[in-house]
Amino acid sequence: MSLLSVVEMAPGFPSALAIGFPVDHFLIMVFYALLVSSFFAVLWASDRPSRTRLFTKIFGALVLGALAVAWLMYPFPS
Amino acid sequence: MSAEASVEAADSRTWMGVVLAWVFPGLGHFYLGRRRRALFYAVVVTVTFLFGLLFEGRLDWPEPGAPLTYLATFASLGSGLLNIVARLLVENPRGTVLSVTYEYGCTFLRTAGLMNLLLMLDVFDIGRGRKS
Repeated sequence: MSLLSVVEMAPGFPSALAIGFPVDHFLIMVFYALLVSSFFAVLWASDRPSRTRLFTKIFGALVLGALAVAWLMYPFPS
Repeated sequence: MSAEASVEAADSRTWMGVVLAWVFPGLGHFYLGRRRRALFYAVVVTVTFLFGLLFEGRLDWPEPGAPLTYLATFASLGSGLLNIVARLLVENPRGTVLSVTYEYGCTFLRTAGLMNLLLMLDVFDIGRGRKS
């Protein structure tokens, strides 16, 4: 079986909309913050209490920072 | 084993770990014996990458006249085999620009690549004994 035929048989990749994943800006932003903050908490801290603290800080900074920027931008027309 | 030979062996082990870390997220940590962390990194980076595809993001590739695409490609290719396999399997590697989730997808895909590049540096530090 050639590589080309394997590629042709590939079913492709579904979209988030197609599988019914809720496409909501805030939800995606929180999910992104969750992934990034958990990654950096494990990468940069070595024990559980400091990981928890770092996770809380990064997650809070990402979500609250984004909300603050959104609030500041609210008066500006699109 | 002489001191020189043991340094050489540690060096080749470090570089092997760095290469493996690029091939698949967490594989470099697994190779250096950090198995729990390896599993965690594999899950987080792979989930980030897969959601990038689900959100119909673009698997970046350089475009003449658009210098920022070179940086984006560098970030995107950081995810190693995930990126290469996805390029072969997805119907449209350039993403779906008209999709409402396109920008999210691009962000997730580039973030997954950048996370994996950081993991390569982390493996290098562990191999050199700068980090446990």
